[in-house]
Amino acid sequence: MSITVNQDNRNNTVTISLIGSFDFSLFNDFRAAYTDLDGDFNRYVIDMSSVEYLDSAALGMLLSMRNAIPAEQDIDLKGANAFIKNILMISRFDKRFNII
Amino acid sequence: MKLLCIDSEPVYRDILTLCAEREGLNVKTVASYHEAIEAFKDFAPDIVTLDVIIKGGNGLELVKKLKNLSGSRFVPMLFLASHTSDSVMDQCFHSGADDFLPKPFDEMLFNIRLKTHMRHVALVKEMYKKNKALTFFQTMIQREHEMAHQVLDHIQTRSEKNSDQVVITRIAAASFNGDLALVKTRADGARLVFVGDFTGHGLPASIGALPVMQTFFDAVDDLTSLSELAIRINKTLNSILPDYMFCAGYLILLSPNGHFSYWGGGMPDAMIRRSSGELDCLPSRHMPLGVQSTCEFDPSLERDQLKTGDTLVILSDGVLELKNAEGKMYGEDQVKSLIKMSYGDENLMRAQTKTEQVLEKYLGGAVQLDDITLVALRTE
Repeated sequence: MSITVNQDNRNNTVTISLIGSFDFSLFNDFRAAYTDLDGDFNRYVIDMSSVEYLDSAALGMLLSMRNAIPAEQDIDLKGANAFIKNILMISRFDKRFNII
Repeated sequence: MKLLCIDSEPVYRDILTLCAEREGLNVKTVASYHEAIEAFKDFAPDIVTLDVIIKGGNGLELVKKLKNLSGSRFVPMLFLASHTSDSVMDQCFHSGADDFLPKPFDEMLFNIRLKTHMRHVALVKEMYKKNKALTFFQTMIQREHEMAHQVLDHIQTRSEKNSDQVVITRIAAASFNGDLALVKTRADGARLVFVGDFTGHGLPASIGALPVMQTFFDAVDDLTSLSELAIRINKTLNSILPDYMFCAGYLILLSPNGHFSYWGGGMPDAMIRRSSGELDCLPSRHMPLGVQSTCEFDPSLERDQLKTGDTLVILSDGVLELKNAEGKMYGEDQVKSLIKMSYGDENLMRAQTKTEQVLEKYLGGAVQLDDITLVALRTE
């Protein structure tokens, strides 16, 4: 499992890419990915296209991120596979995130 | 780091001391077999150098003895040997030596070997330290999980006993997760049901369960409406749990005549297995409990009806995500056909046992990763 953070200052966008299993083991690294940033951004993209599994702890980590970032700034959950998209929809994450 | 140099020749004791001290080692030198054993016990060196021939004894026996004395401690033993034949070298390694240099030795080579051994000693020490810390945490977590289990099991005892109308199955996983199922008949004859699945593992999950239980049983006594109960549980969890924790759940109020209302958030769809064999899904439409503030929270309910012979089945995601030995998940389709098949039985407890057996068989020898909760309800 790994996290890569890409800051695009021109478009005010941060992309956080996750690979492998998104679970409790990433608790600190994931938080660091959106807190240790230089500058302000108005869009956050979580690239989940390489995530194979996600547990309920990961859902909690996403909610925690949503709380830490001002509501007017969008968070996109991008590229989740069908299994993960289903988990996100069961918990109605579409109410807090853009699931694309 | 400490080095014990065992050599009967004063010149080698001097050279070794000089080399080792240059590497920052604390050096002690001895000249005989018996001194060596005493020094090994008192000085407790991290590295030992010795010769094959030693005053008062034999180097091969000494190395055996010292390795024995070091027990579980890793102490590299380096021969600086005046006998340099292959067979002597072979015997040294067989007796427990970690390295071998012939005398007269090259100072440069000795320094390199010494540094390598020092690095190994440091690594092994670090490993022991981490291993000790890990064992400590593992024991602590195991205790916490046992405690959490006990707390949840105690809560569970307040729930209604299994009968022809209600059967609750909880199969706890090796790593404890925090599913909770509560059923209680109110004074007006209606049954109140809560099936929940907390995020996280162990103790944190059971901390959330305590206030939920209290709110639930208060609602049974006070005939609180289902919407109001949903609002209360959400509010309690939202205020006490950290923002990364929540509880997926179903709340159901089933009247004796089979009519029921329900609120579902973050759970896999509950199902009604009709007596005809058809399956109807009861969608869980909301965000889980404990996520939204009271003003955002949507307490609106759905309604449906159980007729005689129909079974309402609520299951946690542990059932859907149950993995067999090949790592393949049980999945929604198999769950659906399982429910269709087992709950055709007119005896609810037998039907539930059948379901459990099929799941157990699917799991095979694999380790169950998540708690499994299955609640089945029928009307009289």
